[in-house]
Amino acid sequence: MRTKIILDEEEIPKKWYNVAADLPTPLDPVLNPATGKPLDPKDLEPIFPKGLIKQELSTERWIDIPEEVRDIYRLWRPTPLYRAHRLEKVLNTPARIYYKYEGVSPAGSHKPNTAIPQAYYNMKEGVERIATETGAGQWGSGLSLATALFGIECRVYMVRASYDQKPYRRSMMRAWGAECIASPSNLTESGRAVLKDHPDTSGSLGIAISEAVEDAATHDNTNYALGSVLNHVLTHQSVEGLELKKQFELTDDYPDVIYGCVGGGSNYPGVCFPFIPDKLKDKKDLRMVACEPTACPTLTKGLYAYDFGDTAQLTPLLKMYTLGHDFVPPAIHAGGLRYHGDAPLLCNLVHDGIIEAQAFHQNEVFEAATIFTRSEGILPAPESSHAIKPAIDEARECKKTGEKKTIVIALSGHGHFDLSSYDAYHDGTLEDYEYPAELVKQSLAKLPKL
Amino acid sequence: MGFLVNPVAGMGGAVGLKGTDKLVAEAKKRGARPVSPDRAKAALEALRGLGPDVLFFTASGEMGERVLREKGFEYQVVYQAPEDTGAEDSRTACKAFLDRKIDLIVFCGGDGTARDVAGVTGDVPILGIPAGVKMHSGVFAISPEAAADLIKGYLRGELRLRETEIIDVDEEMYRSGILEARLYGLARTPYKPALVQERKQIYRSDNEDEFKDQIAIFASEFMRDGSAYIIGAGTTTSKIGAVLGIEKTLLGVDVVHDGKLICKDASEKDLLNVLDEVENAKIIISPIGAQGFVLGRGSQQISPKVLRRVGPDNLIIVATPHKLRDTPYLLVDSGDPELDKMLSGRRQVVTGYRMAQLKQVMATSEVVLVQK
Repeated sequence: MRTKIILDEEEIPKKWYNVAADLPTPLDPVLNPATGKPLDPKDLEPIFPKGLIKQELSTERWIDIPEEVRDIYRLWRPTPLYRAHRLEKVLNTPARIYYKYEGVSPAGSHKPNTAIPQAYYNMKEGVERIATETGAGQWGSGLSLATALFGIECRVYMVRASYDQKPYRRSMMRAWGAECIASPSNLTESGRAVLKDHPDTSGSLGIAISEAVEDAATHDNTNYALGSVLNHVLTHQSVEGLELKKQFELTDDYPDVIYGCVGGGSNYPGVCFPFIPDKLKDKKDLRMVACEPTACPTLTKGLYAYDFGDTAQLTPLLKMYTLGHDFVPPAIHAGGLRYHGDAPLLCNLVHDGIIEAQAFHQNEVFEAATIFTRSEGILPAPESSHAIKPAIDEARECKKTGEKKTIVIALSGHGHFDLSSYDAYHDGTLEDYEYPAELVKQSLAKLPKL
Repeated sequence: MGFLVNPVAGMGGAVGLKGTDKLVAEAKKRGARPVSPDRAKAALEALRGLGPDVLFFTASGEMGERVLREKGFEYQVVYQAPEDTGAEDSRTACKAFLDRKIDLIVFCGGDGTARDVAGVTGDVPILGIPAGVKMHSGVFAISPEAAADLIKGYLRGELRLRETEIIDVDEEMYRSGILEARLYGLARTPYKPALVQERKQIYRSDNEDEFKDQIAIFASEFMRDGSAYIIGAGTTTSKIGAVLGIEKTLLGVDVVHDGKLICKDASEKDLLNVLDEVENAKIIISPIGAQGFVLGRGSQQISPKVLRRVGPDNLIIVATPHKLRDTPYLLVDSGDPELDKMLSGRRQVVTGYRMAQLKQVMATSEVVLVQK
């Protein structure tokens, strides 16, 4: 009875998988807000390296992973696939539960999978400094690690709510040599504008993105990096799903359902996109379920439309599910899931009904996380725990029906910096937020059309 | 600081009088003992160590002087109270405090005392040490010790002020089994934002007024759907009027349709007339006072008849996160138990701009069961 299914270092994928090659409905282009026309790739050059812009627009199915990047991946990849024997026993379920665990990376999450290649392409093109934002601190930590390894300066704008909740995330970034600033800050126009009207604001990912983009656009030696949402990020994350497929080949098993949390949508697409051809071409009966918080239910309650990626409207227009770029989600503890939009590639597949979406309240999510911790030992991040909740529900359902389903959890990271959130849960002080979707719909219905 | 004790507050409670208004003699005859002096002393005990730069102005004898002297505080008597004190004495004493340019009036009593004090103090903040039979008003600290904590924090300049409702129940009707609470006015009171007081990691704006504004802006947006909106009493809902640019009756119920005020300070009959004329109607209400009542206290015009006509699904509850934090559940007591049941359960409460929380709504009858 194996608990860990482990691949050899040599089996780290040599190519990334790009789902854009296999979409039933082609991806809607990114638009320039000024002209309403598809964006000219040259417009991206002031803030992104050419190597990444090429990947962003690519529809090639396979993209080579540079050897320098694979060498760094060796520090923690391939990540283990666990069979959750103990959780199954606690739930007394005939279901087989697996989890692909990304918490073994130096930064404690899946984020370095894309931070490393992003820093690499920037280094190759002589970029000296990178500005970015971070929600829960996982991306900020991931990029701080990557820039340290490639000798690039790094400034991270961290959403105020998380900056205060997780001081040790800041310490970690500092240890890797990065500078971490609470957002909104008074270092940028966008930040100052928000602070003027809302001096006490808890911030949001949308505001932090505005600040980082502005920082990159106003400094010659500086580029911008985004840890989620964009196509190239999702492509980099495919190393997870490619490994997972190989790991399943070592068992007699194949997933019936894969659950993963979605904030901007990078870890989950990374895990499930490599299975898309199985589902579409080989007609595998596989469910893929994106899990999000009810406080910020982008995929389940949002509108599928063009919207800005940030609050200050500095980014191009992306076709995605959105709650509105001006939406500031409540300060839930899964800080990494507080984003008004989602990755266009993921949204495209959700819109086509190939990937499903479900939303959960934070108390039930922490309850599930606690069951997981007390059986499997690992303390999962609150974000990742959004995938544990439905997996446990599904396993309990199997107990009733007697079905022996194979359930996979994309466990994106550990919760060692979220202990105060666990305390709040155990103290009974967490509120369950809900997005008032009906009232919002009502308020948008009669808005004057621009 | 003004310091006032209503020596007879709370006496009716233990002897089954549901209040002490106009019944002091009866309460005493039934063997009631004063409760407020002990509550006041408990608060003063917890205030020990307050710096020497704080001076108490008070009324003579039982109205404050005695407990301050016993607890060894510096004070100055600015009102000579008669032997048998009443509501008028509370009011006169407070006026005397106001002449001394005080920063805060602390009183020990119940809803009746709160009404008397708030009736004369205007903008000067007040804070209640709870000692009454009924304490629905939002100016009361949850205990004498909590009151001391708030006083210290406020005098150190650490706390903000918020506007809150002064509510009192008609005791004569209450004694005959009818609970009719009325909103009498507003008062400013120091508060510790519950969201940041214990758990610093739950960072968020701690300004309750900002949340009221957010709720009002969101409401002004969703109110564009063509329905008539019956808007209940209170400070949270009155902000909606401010955003819409209409003069909302603070202590009453108004009806707004397509941004216009179509019925001001409506009675139940007015509301039923409006409902005859409009196609769709919705109700916006907010919990009033300190105990989380959304129905049955403060906006009785929104009667079971009105609620049934509008439909329980068209009831929109709004409240600041601070207010929700103060109460474990929201309460309904419409006078129609079957309707109360329909309104109970986990309901969405709008707490900010495009933001809501799920909160348990319970009928008062259920709560009694739970507490037993």
